[in-house]
Amino acid sequence: MGLITPVGKTVAETEFSIMHGHRGFKRLSIFPNLCDDTYPVGEIRGLPSAKGLPRTHVLARIAAEQAMAGAEKPPGAIIMGTTTGGMAETEKNLRKHEKSPEFYKYHAAGSVVDYLASIFGCKGPVITVSTACSSSAAAIKVALEMLRQKKIDSVLAVGADSLCHLTYYGFKSLQLVDAEWAKPFDLNRKGMTVSEGAGAVFLQGATHTPKNAIAEILGAGLTCDAYHPVSPHPEGRGALEAMKTALKDADVSPLDIDYINLHGTGTIDNDLSESAAVNRLFEKTVPCHSSIKGAMGHSLAAAGIIETIISVMAIKNGMVPPNTGCTVPDPALGLNPAREPVKKTIRTVLSNSFGFGGNNAAVTIGTPRRPGKEKDSILDLPFTIAGKSLVSGAGFITETLKSISQGKECTGILLEKELTRNLPAKKVRRMKRLPKIVLSLGVEACENSSLEEKPGSLFFGTGWGSLSETFNFTTQLIDSADKFASPTDFIGSVHNASAGQAAIEFDATGPNITTTGGDYSFEQALLTASLLSRNSNDPVLVIGADEYHETLSPLFDRSSPEGTTRSDGGGAILLKRESEPSGIILSPVFMEKAYGNNNAIRALISEFGGPETINDQYRALFVGIPESEKERCNKQLHQFIKDSDFKGSIIDYRRFTGQFASASAVATVLAATFTESGKIPEPLCGEGHSDLNGKGILVLGLGPYVTGIGILSKGLV
Amino acid sequence: MDRLTDELRHKIVTTLNLEETAPEDIAENDPLVGGELGLDSIDILELVMMIEKDYGIKIDNRELGAKVFATLKSLAQYIREEAPGASD
Repeated sequence: MGLITPVGKTVAETEFSIMHGHRGFKRLSIFPNLCDDTYPVGEIRGLPSAKGLPRTHVLARIAAEQAMAGAEKPPGAIIMGTTTGGMAETEKNLRKHEKSPEFYKYHAAGSVVDYLASIFGCKGPVITVSTACSSSAAAIKVALEMLRQKKIDSVLAVGADSLCHLTYYGFKSLQLVDAEWAKPFDLNRKGMTVSEGAGAVFLQGATHTPKNAIAEILGAGLTCDAYHPVSPHPEGRGALEAMKTALKDADVSPLDIDYINLHGTGTIDNDLSESAAVNRLFEKTVPCHSSIKGAMGHSLAAAGIIETIISVMAIKNGMVPPNTGCTVPDPALGLNPAREPVKKTIRTVLSNSFGFGGNNAAVTIGTPRRPGKEKDSILDLPFTIAGKSLVSGAGFITETLKSISQGKECTGILLEKELTRNLPAKKVRRMKRLPKIVLSLGVEACENSSLEEKPGSLFFGTGWGSLSETFNFTTQLIDSADKFASPTDFIGSVHNASAGQAAIEFDATGPNITTTGGDYSFEQALLTASLLSRNSNDPVLVIGADEYHETLSPLFDRSSPEGTTRSDGGGAILLKRESEPSGIILSPVFMEKAYGNNNAIRALISEFGGPETINDQYRALFVGIPESEKERCNKQLHQFIKDSDFKGSIIDYRRFTGQFASASAVATVLAATFTESGKIPEPLCGEGHSDLNGKGILVLGLGPYVTGIGILSKGLV
Repeated sequence: MDRLTDELRHKIVTTLNLEETAPEDIAENDPLVGGELGLDSIDILELVMMIEKDYGIKIDNRELGAKVFATLKSLAQYIREEAPGASD
């Protein structure tokens, strides 16, 4: 385990400070504060200087190094939770009017995990979960499912977020900040304290209990309120379900819980909604409980994992951490948080983390159990594609297919009025481009679906997130000398804002996960969807989308430099696990890091069943070649063809979709459409090669990661 | 109808992108939040920023916000009190 927080630079230091009721709040010093009313923050002083490397990356590395100290081999996968990524550095450079993409190479939230994977030599899949303040708790759930699947035996889970203008002024614009400090559950609480930090846990799959095991992640539950973009459901509907799911997943009852580590931000609404949920779940016997955010503030995406670690320490030392900041508990909440450390035997802890977009996560942590107990009824069946949609420069699916069959490209960006033709103006009035794309995709995929049920869970991959909102928020702040920050743009700027909106549209109260990882974001969403739905055959909506932004896209996306055709859009697929597949099948999904891993292509070929099976099942290859990675991709493609002896058509899909991060989502939807019709339009594959002969299409992603998505017709499974 | 109230109607529609609402449809005594306009707390915070920008008045806490933004009438009245030049 590793920690760096405003109250300590290690796990031991942080725990000591919390137990002694220290507060880690100081005047903001990492960037000049131009406005007159300031508030204290949980700032970490004395970080090692790292030129050009954003604070989030530095914090993540420090925590991860502690967690990996003494590890005998690299982690099999890394699951990261972050929202800010390189935002602090990007803001600095935008303020200096830096125009070279070189200054923005660490902007992406997904770049933190790339950085960690390089440091620790991780060759397996990496996923960045960006679900606002529940990010790293959700990351733990993804890591847990990965270990349960048993393909990978160790996972490094990390959460990190640094202070930046966006969060400092954003929460202020929402009037969610206590000008003094956070006082969770107190009668006089006025809001949260924005802070920063990082936590990391190195998790090992327990075929046997490791000798040095401190605790076990017993289970976790993820839900979505599907209620409002920011405000939690007043009765804590989603929070209650997340806790119930976390207990069920761990196979424990409320009576087994010895301590609840509450989300407890200190805002009026969170504490109200969380206490309602806790009181309903535990009725009259609420176990010992506290929030540590009165000591260290709210470190956003890092909070979940930091609090998981504090929960582990509570188990190890038999001490309940105090709820610093609460002197007189608010009687309206019906809770009685521990105001002093409480010594008691703690075997099982429930830890809550909630975030914007109605995202709720609860993690159950306990003393290590005897291994060997298998979960029942794991379905893990292949996905049938029950509905699909896409948005390209040419339009929706019909227009795009028409364009392609006429030999035209479908690059470009679709006009906004076209984009929202099926959405009422009232619904999209607060939305900018990305949420409009996402909502349109979701609505159309469900309308085109063969299912009557709506999706219960939603997975969204985006390379760059809501660029328009981020840009507007930042430029308005800069232009007004840090005076004016738009609350609407702040809320819209979080990566998961679009998925939160879509959840409201479909009343999707199951897991709602946004992943981000450059050109492999959609693949990360698919991988996460397949991990989190192993136990269920509820319909799952998976969307990949990105927007083009005039200023930011050329700065951030190396494959879309100034002067190239502007393109954006995405794709959505509605998936359902079926024992008797009824349509086109999506399986498997593969991802491995290719930097420093000569084996990635071979591993992919093996995952897809070897050369013979690949040639038996697939008639065409859709290859994703990001412009900035062309040389490496061509080498990888050459290796794939050689090692798999692939004889079908090879189509570089970015030639007709254009260069943008989630082009692979468009390609996947097209691959499913062509597999369904049994034909690829001739302009794509040349005369005489259009018939798929009942076979499928393999969607291959190349570059720094190698990914594969299998699209098959049902006869071949 | 006074000029300030009319001006606020237009500003609300533009700030909140209420494409389907005609400014004159915002009644002086109707609740701004939870009524037919379909506004919520985020819209109010967006209006808080607009009021500070355009009238130089800060509304920096929720209790005050709830009172000021109860109706169009209460908003206009508050602006008149805090920035007496605004209605000229």
